[in-house]
Amino acid sequence: MLVEAAQSDPAKFDALYELHFERVYAFIASRARDRATAEDLTSEVFHKALANLPRYEWRGVPFVAWLLRIAANAIADQFKRTAREFPSRDDPPEAPAGRDLQASELRAIEHRAQLFRQVRQLPEVQKQMVYERFVEQRSIREIAKRLGKTPGAIKQLQLRAVQNLRAQMERGHG
Amino acid sequence: MAERSLALQLDEAVQAMLVSLQPRPEEAPDRELAPLMRVAQALRELPRKEFRAALKSDLQRRGSMNDGTAAGAGAAAPARALHYQRPGLTSITPYIIVRGAAQFLEFLKAAFKGVEQMRMPTPDGLIMHAEVAVGNGAIEVSDGSDAYPAAPTAIHLYVDDADATYDKALQAGATSLYAPTDDHPSGDRWGAAKDQFGNLWYIATPKGWTPGPEGLRSVQPYLHLREAHKMIPFLEAAFGAEAMGVHKSSEGAVLHATIRIGNATLEIDEAHGEFQPMPCHLHVYVPDTDAVYAQALRAGATSIETPQDKPYGDRAAGVKDAWGNSWFIATYLGR
Repeated sequence: MLVEAAQSDPAKFDALYELHFERVYAFIASRARDRATAEDLTSEVFHKALANLPRYEWRGVPFVAWLLRIAANAIADQFKRTAREFPSRDDPPEAPAGRDLQASELRAIEHRAQLFRQVRQLPEVQKQMVYERFVEQRSIREIAKRLGKTPGAIKQLQLRAVQNLRAQMERGHG
Repeated sequence: MAERSLALQLDEAVQAMLVSLQPRPEEAPDRELAPLMRVAQALRELPRKEFRAALKSDLQRRGSMNDGTAAGAGAAAPARALHYQRPGLTSITPYIIVRGAAQFLEFLKAAFKGVEQMRMPTPDGLIMHAEVAVGNGAIEVSDGSDAYPAAPTAIHLYVDDADATYDKALQAGATSLYAPTDDHPSGDRWGAAKDQFGNLWYIATPKGWTPGPEGLRSVQPYLHLREAHKMIPFLEAAFGAEAMGVHKSSEGAVLHATIRIGNATLEIDEAHGEFQPMPCHLHVYVPDTDAVYAQALRAGATSIETPQDKPYGDRAAGVKDAWGNSWFIATYLGR
């Protein structure tokens, strides 16, 4: 098992990270107020998981559920800190610390994580388009300039990439 | 062609989503648009490749270094500087110094639905530092002092409804420069007002997305400059900025340019008419303060403050450009 391998050799934590990064990030990003916070918390979760790995025991709780519980606690802690710093904020993220996630929540996380993994499988130019548009939030004109294409071609590329992802996701669920 | 292509429909909806504005209602939406937008919505939360890779190598270093036996410590610090912007701020935030910062904060709330995120008072009841979220951007505020006198700023504010926001600004005490019009050269619906602190507000709603700057933030500093064309190479050299659209007159004067630094933009033009230079303060988050500070000096800026680690968790420096604007350069170091 990957978990046991990593427990006896922390250098093998890599494999667990590869398997679960998108799940943890998807869970946190849907609840964090911005990207910087999502990255901070994801980093915190994996560091805690690595540090506490020797304590993890299989007791009917899958490893991913253990990770997500660490994540839920990190989100709750972060919200408490934010509430102290910015008491005027009125949009607390849902932070289900202290309870297990519902099956529907787990399905939603899995679905989102699968989408994130699918992006990495896209043809190179579509992948670049997706990162530049949705992560870097570059304009169509900027992306066109960077990729040496016309704005019209970039809009078509955007459509193809999103259609491609939608089709992959539907196949994954079929 | 009566119906617009799916590629155009999707792009408009994506653009509206990215700038947190209401999309223009589609007259004949393609059946595929809604499911594609669900995918697009989810892609907003796609993790950065650089973050994924940096965290992995950080964990690898830690895994091989400590053999995992530091479990009890539980104090493994998160990787530092995986991101370099303080949460809530973008690459460029206007730092508006006014006389009467407390009243100015009330104006921002009443006129622009500003949400106060932070307020640090001075012992004598003034405001040392405050942050207000406006739309998907932010404005930093403080009371003027001898060292940092009041510096009114021009801001291009993108909103869902320019007319309603313009009315609110006037109700909150601003005076009209001109009411929103569709005849602005940008093609956007655009009005302008001056608040009681001397700041100029260009209140606009993008129309059709093509004429105005894209990928925009709600709050964009707008610099009216003499010899504005020289600002572009300065910003490129100092901050690695990218000029996204430069419109010049036949004589070479910059009629309008949008300049991108990191994930935000500012706008410049040649000072004209009543829109004369207003040297202001800008807070810029960069991955490496020391490097950008050195670049800025090489590009012709003068030093205000050398790079230092600040007690609030930033590494920060300050420079002044040849036009008199102050640039506070910062890298967020984590908590």
